Amino acid sequence: MSYVAIKGGKAAIDGAASASEYLRSKGSLDEPLTLAMIEEQLRLLTSRVVSEGGLYHPRLAALALKQFQGDTLEAAFALRAYRSTKPRLLESPVQDTANMRCIRRISSAFKEVPGGQYLGATYDYALRLLQLDLANEDPAAFKAVAKSFLRDTPETELPDNFPKVIDSLRAEGLLPPVAPSRAAAFDITRDPLVFPVPRSAALATMARAETGGLLAMAYSNMRGYGDVHPTVAELRVGYLPVMLPHPVTGELMEAGEVLVTECEVVAMYEGTNGDELPTFTLGYGACFGHNEVKAISMAILDRALQKGMQDGPTNPSEDPEFVLLHVDGVDSMGFASHYKMPHYVTFQSDMDRLRTTQQKMQQKESEATT
Amino acid sequence: MNLPRKEWAAALCALPASEVKHLANVLSGELEVRDVALPHAGLGLLNLRDGAFEESYFIGEIPVARAEVIVRSAGGMEERGGALIVDDRAQFARSIAILDAVMAGKLPGSVPAMTLVQRGMEVRQQKQIERKKLLTATRVDFSLLGQEDDEDEE
Repeated sequence: MSYVAIKGGKAAIDGAASASEYLRSKGSLDEPLTLAMIEEQLRLLTSRVVSEGGLYHPRLAALALKQFQGDTLEAAFALRAYRSTKPRLLESPVQDTANMRCIRRISSAFKEVPGGQYLGATYDYALRLLQLDLANEDPAAFKAVAKSFLRDTPETELPDNFPKVIDSLRAEGLLPPVAPSRAAAFDITRDPLVFPVPRSAALATMARAETGGLLAMAYSNMRGYGDVHPTVAELRVGYLPVMLPHPVTGELMEAGEVLVTECEVVAMYEGTNGDELPTFTLGYGACFGHNEVKAISMAILDRALQKGMQDGPTNPSEDPEFVLLHVDGVDSMGFASHYKMPHYVTFQSDMDRLRTTQQKMQQKESEATT
Repeated sequence: MNLPRKEWAAALCALPASEVKHLANVLSGELEVRDVALPHAGLGLLNLRDGAFEESYFIGEIPVARAEVIVRSAGGMEERGGALIVDDRAQFARSIAILDAVMAGKLPGSVPAMTLVQRGMEVRQQKQIERKKLLTATRVDFSLLGQEDDEDEE
């Protein structure tokens, strides 16, 4: 790619920034959006940005959404840029998501799962009809919603966390045995993806992938360019306590918590070559924030990629290079956006070549007719 | 109620930072506080165990702030305190580290510090109650389903 440095655009660029700010504020006689409003009332949007930005910082994600006027790709880009300015202080010990404090937990594999199923906050069963009264929401009524929910819902004795659904399947011998890898997890923020990559690199890449990109890849598998045929063993959303060593005692302590969505899918069973019994196959997905479509898509692709790595890819969603190099929102948005930058030199060159080719053809035609 | 040390930081993080900083500032006026290392903030890579095969991978990064101090009382009692929290405010971590030392060494000020911790625990418990209400209100009861025709089930 060739670019050319150009002068004379500074005033226009400054003006573009002012124009963006003008559009953000014009017509708003109301107060500017607060970060708390964005973080709470647009929580699913904030969730997208923390996961696609790869940094769990909901307040800064809200700020980025405000600054870029709701553009999730730009907001995730800003979060990545922010993180690149910060020193890396630690790698956490391995965290166990069984400790998650769930606010939603469902299974489409079983009706009765140990601990029970809880729909939590979801639109899965809602009619997709516009709720017109929200257009002119009464502030007092708005404030009363949360209060009345808490007042009207009884306190019940529930455990702080729940067992994993797949543990019971594994206990029955229906799942492949766990064989934890001793290899250190791959750090995609420090090392480039050079194929073949370990599964930890694939999981990390998909965890911060752009939701739509990941969904498109997974959807291709769902529609027929693949054969994962998943069943959601468990989908859970909740707050995962982050356990870090106390600086003085070294004892693990809760240093904070992060909202995480996690999904395990059980897929078509496969036979084995030896004497071992066949088992279901598994796929796993998880991301920061509340983003179920992303976690399910990731789980499907995890399974598809395992198959592709083992047997060789038979469709795009099983090809690690195809999937992992095309699902990052910042990468792909950047490439698409760069086409807006001046390409005067390359295009001038294209035009010169075209004109020369046309001239040569015209010359040949005229020579042939004379 | 004496809470274990490993729960102090989480409890203090549940409170407004201004309250924690205020008490730490007050105690710093009465005690000698030395930084073992300058408080700093940055990022931590969060390592998760995947739920399918129990392999570890990095889901992303989290903000972390860390501080470590030595606090000495006028009577010569000395204790080391530290804080490592999911937050990007280094001075907030330092305030927690000071309270951590004060409580660990039962230095002057440990009573109001522990009161603050207990209040933080109450805030955390209240938050957990509210979260559990999200579950309580949406628990699926399949007992009725079993009494009806299951033909529509997939």
